[in-house]
Amino acid sequence: MIGSLRGLAVTLATMMRRPVTAQYPDPKRRLPIDERFMGFPALLWDYSNDEPYCTGCMVCVRECPTQCMTADMSDNARFESGESTRKKIIEKFEINLGRCILCGICVDVCNFDAIEMSHEHEMGKFERNANRAGLNPLLDMGKTWQSQTGWSPAKTKNIGDPDKRARQQADEKAAKAGAVPVEVVSTEVLKSARAKSPDAQPEAGTPDPGTPNAGTGEAAGS
Amino acid sequence: MTALEVLYYVLGGLGLFTFLAVTVMVLTYVERKFLARIQQRLGPMRVGPYGTLQPIADTIKLIMKEDILPSWADRPVYWLAPLVIFLPALAIWVTLPLGEDLVLRNLDLGLLYIVAISVLSVLGLVMAGWGSANKYAMLGGLRAAGQLISYEIPFIMAVLGVAMLSQSLDLTRIVNDQSSIANVIIQPAGLFIFFMAGLAELGRTPFDIHHAESEVVGGPFVEYSGAHWAIIQMAEYVNMFAIAALVVLLFLGGWRWPSMPFEGTGHQALSLVWFLAKTYGVVLVIFWIRGTYPRLRIDQLMAFGWKVLVPASFLNIVLTGIVLFYGWHWSVLTVMSSLTLVAIGYVIYRRPGTDVRQDTVRVVSARDAGLKPASRAAKPLSGGPLSGRTG
Repeated sequence: MIGSLRGLAVTLATMMRRPVTAQYPDPKRRLPIDERFMGFPALLWDYSNDEPYCTGCMVCVRECPTQCMTADMSDNARFESGESTRKKIIEKFEINLGRCILCGICVDVCNFDAIEMSHEHEMGKFERNANRAGLNPLLDMGKTWQSQTGWSPAKTKNIGDPDKRARQQADEKAAKAGAVPVEVVSTEVLKSARAKSPDAQPEAGTPDPGTPNAGTGEAAGS
Repeated sequence: MTALEVLYYVLGGLGLFTFLAVTVMVLTYVERKFLARIQQRLGPMRVGPYGTLQPIADTIKLIMKEDILPSWADRPVYWLAPLVIFLPALAIWVTLPLGEDLVLRNLDLGLLYIVAISVLSVLGLVMAGWGSANKYAMLGGLRAAGQLISYEIPFIMAVLGVAMLSQSLDLTRIVNDQSSIANVIIQPAGLFIFFMAGLAELGRTPFDIHHAESEVVGGPFVEYSGAHWAIIQMAEYVNMFAIAALVVLLFLGGWRWPSMPFEGTGHQALSLVWFLAKTYGVVLVIFWIRGTYPRLRIDQLMAFGWKVLVPASFLNIVLTGIVLFYGWHWSVLTVMSSLTLVAIGYVIYRRPGTDVRQDTVRVVSARDAGLKPASRAAKPLSGGPLSGRTG
């Protein structure tokens, strides 16, 4: 009997609480998306050089288990003028997001940090093939994702701006040269390596328009 | 009967029907919202502002839906059952006063009429169960009939206690008698017995044994769809509103108690509002109970009905009779009835005379029980626990 009354009190107390329901399409109350959330794949934009990271190397297309991607590569005119480190650049790209199974294999195999699993997941469409996303929509998705997460490329060689890349590579080289075994590296050693690097920069990093320097050749070679 | 009277009854009946139909729509909405809040949900939110148009959408959907007739169904019984369920639910309202002088036809034997008519709904449930030619429906219908025995006696006895206090079966007179002091104060145990028996009569949680979605998948209504199902559903809600109204009229003083400044203009309308507010309050308690308790087994309901409610209701009548016979002050009855209520609570709490261990199923191995183990050779060794089962 006492338990029954207590039960009534419990339900009454629950009723006084705020409902937990988030009404899905309502923008005001959405469940938060986790940082690690894997939505549809998106192509990333190299803000340092105003072009996509993607060079159209077709690795993702070949590895995709559902064969939902196609890519076309073209020569990068900005490479010829020395503005870019990318010899080739993506021209056409298409992902059939209706076929994509969000496995993330394309992200794993990409050598150019060009594709990432974005936070985009609301792609409901009324037609069967309306989920084919071209280059520009994919880049837009990527830009949104970059602004959401503050992403930066993992590999130095994938930096598109020749100056910047050369500087960073020189930094890394100097750090490596100055550093003896990894265990013994102290902050002072690193600092001295950093201090040396400006000297090293003019040799390795000066962009010589017209003639590609060693650094660019390394990236475009793949 | 003059033509004017005929017109009055026809229009009054239609008005009553409209009132009840609107009430049912409101009740479905309120119930869904209320239950949702108990479960920390929002309930219907899409149709109209805060989902207020949801009942209208539901009604349209139910009317548009196809009426399905099972091929093995007993046709006349199947089609008649919703009417047999619905008509008694509606007929009760003829004599239920909604406010001061707001009653279609006040009967001197109104309570007897209500008690007699309301039982007829069970016949409809059994008919629906039989006519559907469905095992779940059949079981549900039989459960409804079986349930009837255990709640009907305390229901009538609790009503009788109130009738003894007012020396009348006329509902308006019973309400008017409560203008100074409501029956709930005089007979709290009576209210408890009546409310519990009423819940059982409605088949609402915790006594929704004949619906029992998890056991008989909706009971007698499994096979019904569309408008016929809507009628049955409407009857359920009309019945619930009627029980809530009866609780208000018999125990909570109707529109009379606590007395409001009703004199003068708008008296009728105000009494209607006051009555409806109370009735909706009781309805909310019914929803609250539904959101809280699990379902009883049928034997638990039987035990509760026969071992608790029936003796308590007889005790209630005897005590009322003693107090009335000796002409004691009503407060004596209040004390006695409160003690009865405490006794009921104690009986439910302790369950004296029941060995709890007898209730539970004990698993005993065949060897301990002195039985010969069943032959293994007859059973196929391969195959999962579900293999070899049919149906």
